[in-house]
Amino acid sequence: MEIKKEQLSKIVGAEYVFNDSQTLEAYAKDLSFVLSVKPRFVVKPKNVDEVQRLVRWANETNTPLVPLSSGPPRFHGDTVPSTPGGVIVELSRMNKILRIDRRNRITIIEPGVTYSQLEPELAKEGMRVTMPLLPRGNKSIIASLLERQPTLIPRYNYSLPEPLRDCGVVWGSGEISYTGHAGNGSYSLDEQWEAGNIPVDPRGPNATDFMRLLTGAQGSMGIVVWASVKCEILPSIRKLFFIPANKLEDLIDFSYRLQRLRLGDEVILVNNVLFATMLGKNSDQIRDLKEKFPPWVMIIGIAGRALYPEEKLDVQEKDLTDLVQHFGLKLQTEIAGTANKEVLNTILNPSTEPYWKLKYKGGCEDIFFLTTLDKAPHYIQVMYATADALKYPASDIGIYIQPQHQGVSHHCEFNLPFNPKDAKEMAKVKELYSKASEELIGQGAYFARPYGMWANLVYNRDAQSTMALRKIKKIFDPNNVMNPGKLCFKSIGK
Amino acid sequence: MKSWRFSKGCPSVEYNNFHSYSAGGRLVTALSLLDGRIKVTDRVIDSVFKCQLCGNCDVTCKMCRFDMEPLAALRELRFKLVEDGYTVPQHKPVMEGFRKQNNMLNKVKAKRGDWADGLNLKDLSKDKAEIVFHTGCRYSYDNDLNHVAKASVSILQKAGVDFGIMGKEENCCGGRAYNMGYLKDFAAGAANNIKAWTKAGVKTVVTPCADCYYTFKRLYPEAGSEIKVLHMVEFINQLVKQGKINFKKPVPMRVTYHDPCYLGRQGEPYIPWKGKEKKIFGQVVVYEPRRPRYNGAYGIYEPPRDVLRAIPGLELVEMERIKEAAWCCGAGGGVKEAYPEFSKWTAKERIEEAAATGADAIVSACPWCERNFIDAIKECDKKMKVVDIIELVYQAIGDGRNFK
Amino acid sequence: MTLSKDAYQELEDIVGPENISDDPSILDSYAFEWLAELVRPDQSHYMPRPVAVIMPASTEEVQAITRVCNKYKIKIKPLSTGWYHWAGPIKDEDDTLQVDLRRMNRILEIDEKNMFAIVEPYVICAQLQAEVMKRGLNINIIGAGASTSIVASACAYAGMGPSTYWMGHNSDNVLGMEWVTPSGEIIRTGSLGSGDGWFCSEGPGPSVRGICRGFLGSRGGLGVYTKCAIKLSHWPGPTEFIVRGTLPAFRLPIPDNFRVYTLAVPSWDAWADTYYKIYDNEIGYIFHRQFTLAGADLGPALWLTLNDHTKTLNDVEEMIKKPDIKELTEELRISFQLILAGRSLRDIELQDKILDQILAETGGWKVKRFCEQDMAEFTNVYLQRLGHKHLNFVWVGGYLGSWMQPGTPDFVKKYVPIAIKGLYRDAAGGLLVQCGGDALMGCGSTVAGGGWSGLEQFVSYDPADKESIKAGTKHMEDAITDAVSHGIPAGKEAIYLSLGYKDEKVWASLARSQQPIIFHFQRKIKEAFDPNDIGDRNYPTLPENYKIE
Repeated sequence: MEIKKEQLSKIVGAEYVFNDSQTLEAYAKDLSFVLSVKPRFVVKPKNVDEVQRLVRWANETNTPLVPLSSGPPRFHGDTVPSTPGGVIVELSRMNKILRIDRRNRITIIEPGVTYSQLEPELAKEGMRVTMPLLPRGNKSIIASLLERQPTLIPRYNYSLPEPLRDCGVVWGSGEISYTGHAGNGSYSLDEQWEAGNIPVDPRGPNATDFMRLLTGAQGSMGIVVWASVKCEILPSIRKLFFIPANKLEDLIDFSYRLQRLRLGDEVILVNNVLFATMLGKNSDQIRDLKEKFPPWVMIIGIAGRALYPEEKLDVQEKDLTDLVQHFGLKLQTEIAGTANKEVLNTILNPSTEPYWKLKYKGGCEDIFFLTTLDKAPHYIQVMYATADALKYPASDIGIYIQPQHQGVSHHCEFNLPFNPKDAKEMAKVKELYSKASEELIGQGAYFARPYGMWANLVYNRDAQSTMALRKIKKIFDPNNVMNPGKLCFKSIGK
Repeated sequence: MKSWRFSKGCPSVEYNNFHSYSAGGRLVTALSLLDGRIKVTDRVIDSVFKCQLCGNCDVTCKMCRFDMEPLAALRELRFKLVEDGYTVPQHKPVMEGFRKQNNMLNKVKAKRGDWADGLNLKDLSKDKAEIVFHTGCRYSYDNDLNHVAKASVSILQKAGVDFGIMGKEENCCGGRAYNMGYLKDFAAGAANNIKAWTKAGVKTVVTPCADCYYTFKRLYPEAGSEIKVLHMVEFINQLVKQGKINFKKPVPMRVTYHDPCYLGRQGEPYIPWKGKEKKIFGQVVVYEPRRPRYNGAYGIYEPPRDVLRAIPGLELVEMERIKEAAWCCGAGGGVKEAYPEFSKWTAKERIEEAAATGADAIVSACPWCERNFIDAIKECDKKMKVVDIIELVYQAIGDGRNFK
Repeated sequence: MTLSKDAYQELEDIVGPENISDDPSILDSYAFEWLAELVRPDQSHYMPRPVAVIMPASTEEVQAITRVCNKYKIKIKPLSTGWYHWAGPIKDEDDTLQVDLRRMNRILEIDEKNMFAIVEPYVICAQLQAEVMKRGLNINIIGAGASTSIVASACAYAGMGPSTYWMGHNSDNVLGMEWVTPSGEIIRTGSLGSGDGWFCSEGPGPSVRGICRGFLGSRGGLGVYTKCAIKLSHWPGPTEFIVRGTLPAFRLPIPDNFRVYTLAVPSWDAWADTYYKIYDNEIGYIFHRQFTLAGADLGPALWLTLNDHTKTLNDVEEMIKKPDIKELTEELRISFQLILAGRSLRDIELQDKILDQILAETGGWKVKRFCEQDMAEFTNVYLQRLGHKHLNFVWVGGYLGSWMQPGTPDFVKKYVPIAIKGLYRDAAGGLLVQCGGDALMGCGSTVAGGGWSGLEQFVSYDPADKESIKAGTKHMEDAITDAVSHGIPAGKEAIYLSLGYKDEKVWASLARSQQPIIFHFQRKIKEAFDPNDIGDRNYPTLPENYKIE
């Protein structure tokens, strides 16, 4: 251990190597149900060179590395080591915003850059980055994008990894390459920039989408040390609407049509519980709002940007009104219990503290997967049935459906709040989480991001992808040092 | 292209699949032969002759190109093979019949004019007239179909047209022989026909057969013919517009019209061209004098449709592939003679398309199309009537006689 | 090179004797390739002959064929509609089996609600477009036109076209893929592999599709794609593609909620500015620089004569002398096409207003003659269906594409003057078509939503004239020199030329790339998925420990 500490200190500096109990405890678990395993060290590198040296060292010493960029609380178990003796590579020191380019609407950032940090800087240039739903203020943008966390504006989601573009990566093998168009240029981003090579195109280089091997990888292929992200133009004017409904089914045909027409910016489907959780400041408020809100709300944001923003807004509003009428729904600007402005402010910003999902009961487990919208009601029934069987109150289940990929796939998420101090409740949620996940996977819900216990269930269904991913892993992380034990990868050894 | 089902153009490559069975592939075969890369094998013969020479490839190419003549090249390839002694065995007896009995159906020459018995038609082997009605081999000998010939001449008589037939002295136009690659035989036949017409004082040939129409209109001018050529459907259209034909009886049918290849995309007005190639702008090939484009779009498409629309009670519905994009009936280019399965398959595809319009009948203006459709329908579950446009006209005129 | 009797028999047993052939005439029809003459010895029109051509009807047959190829160490080269000279065998010394997928030509499903279709390799863009338009949907048609295979562009090659700006690049649009790997496994990507349907190409976890394609696909060099699902887009037009007019004067009437414009700008700086503003304002449905493919000097005259069936190319020679055509030619010098589609009438009116403002800001304008009804409707049919692709070859039958380095509009505008000067220079001797130095065609954006372009120089040569062919080859070499000497990477011509190189030369050029590790990773991917090396060089790799001599 002493030797390793010394070796690590040589790489990142002694003051950035941690192995005190408190620090190690903090990284040994998260709010998921995965087994708690303590890392041996936590290190905080400051640049690419240090990261590469860390990875090389890990290969030489057969030490597992777990890359991590976001602050707590963490939820999915992907940043909890699966094997003992590992080193957490904490990337929050690498938090430079390397470039902001309004003309090409590209920003280049390091992994430690969070939504809170980037937003004001982009705003100075009249831009923003499309966000997921209430990310934590300390959430790393790169981590969010790499894990394909759904963003709120379906029409900008040309493919699921959007708005992630190019990346610089230190692979598990210790080699460095750049993904996307940046992979065609030199290793100096400045040199590339001077030559007019802006990292806009995420594809390639050549015949491999290297970026896609990193998405959803839970850090098991390599460490991303920078990424370019496509930005939106900051709207000059916005409006928010609500469409209430008794059942999700009432909104489905309309939602399909809305996506097809690429009308509107934010399109979010939430049930009353989720909506209340988003807006309520504490558990009493949440309980109260749950009752006030209609069973389902579709939140639609429209915006005007660049030229004639007011007219753009006006046309969209009129088209939206016509469409809503055609489907016999109601378009409202107010919903009892909350103010339009408050909702808008909520969805345009990261979560306040404490993290919003924890406000209701202190703890929360999420089950989420991808589906086509027409199947969502069925999966909701499955969730409710499983909850009923275990006597978990359906009235506590928050449901969030996020149209993605311009309406082709939908992120469907169930929030299961619970009191973490109540052992019985926690056990029940754990069981519910497990049973419901199994049931949903068995019924065709596509768990594209297989965290924790989902991994076995998912990869058991897809032998060929499992085989392919293991081959890929062997190429990019031949010694299995990158977060071993995640997904379908072995927890120890090659 | 309006649907996946009826999106194809070339029967040969659709049936045979290998690239050599497309026009482009066949041109490669020609190049490979010229370059000595390949020898003539059974496969070569198969790929060259298993093609109706429908001309769809030609139309498609010429949409965007000014210097390509795919159809002409496909014919040249056949001429070369035949001249070099390579031929399709099934064509041999047909050509023997052509040489000996002057028809493409292996029938007796002496009986060629029998269909006209009792119709009191002028005999232009003895008499003179400015218009000759050229029946064609198929209508002369095919007893299922020659009612159309009888209807044709009745229509002309009723319209007071001064015309005659050659009867048993009528010679095959030679068009099918030409398309089978027998250039010399064709040339001999053409010369004979032109001589006979000239002697009879003929200035216009009218024919109910699209094959003959194409041959007279586009091949005979090269052989020196200056005789005007009309298809019956064109002539009828003129007569209707001149008021010389009146439709008295409604024909309550829903029909769809099949454009014969040789009346449609290969039936365009034609002026023989002789000239040379030159280059402009460095490498752009042009022709001196200008060479007409013949993209297939100016064939005889509207006259038959005008005629059909003029028939009372008749409803015309169109297939997806019409006019210059029409799918071939399958009979042309020597295919019906040599590759009956392929020929039938092609026809069945067209029948499917016709049935999809909801029509009661598929109407055409060529006996070879009709023969092939009749033969194909026997093996189809789609039962449709096959009629010639002349039949419908005759019905609508209300003459009363039934030639069937 | 011939196939052993045993191998032939085993293959024949899979597909039946009518679906396999080793007759030289058949083989030649696959060996003959457009562009071969530019790279083959003696300007031969033929790439190497395959040892046989086989036509499977199903994925299972493809898998069985793949296993036979592994057994006998035969290279496997799948082909759908083809396009470039790398569609067939590449090396004379290889035994290559050409797998012609034309019998696998079905549209398996159209899911209108969820906006995707599932297709086999021989479904072409025009067929799918015709079918989905009936349902008010549309597809991205790639630049190579409506007669191309959707599976090929989505899984195995590129995937960009005039509609990419709004409808997505086919790498965005491809959903589940079915891939028969070179080792004979069947891998189904994304949600398809989990049995959860075709709708999602990503995951589970990292996306296996990442090794299927990147900027380009494997071009047949790493297995066979037998099906894919492709994302569709909204079509706010009529449900039938009703073309009016008589060939060649086809026109597509323009509905009220569409606008079809040819726009021009005074400078390449203004060109870039205009593109950026179009991107920022999110107007546009189809966005392409199409008409300049015929050359800025001759193009306008050509476009005006093309639709008159009585006219020929001779008329172009006369027309360009006329004062009004000369004026129009200058007006169109830096021009491109933009089709707007509104989801409503108010939407299209606002888009029009925005476009007018953009043009006012950048000094651009709508080219009056080309916005008149006849030319606008011609532009509409051309760009919506993209069926006029043979026009690429209009001048004399041979064309090659050079340049087309991808980049932002600011990047592209830098190489444009170099490309223009180069073509004037190379065509000056009369061995290439003198249509103007600017024969540059390209997508408004090759990345969905805007931001990325690339202009391809259409260089026309006479494939029947050896000197012209040699001039074409020389042009490509000169284009590389022109680019590199200005600090710009080599363009598309480098891939064309590489088909004539021996392996060592290909490796040397890969090794000179800025991050050659890419090709080492690809070698490892190939070793993992193609252990018997039956895929060919279209999937580029570098040998281990490769050093440039």
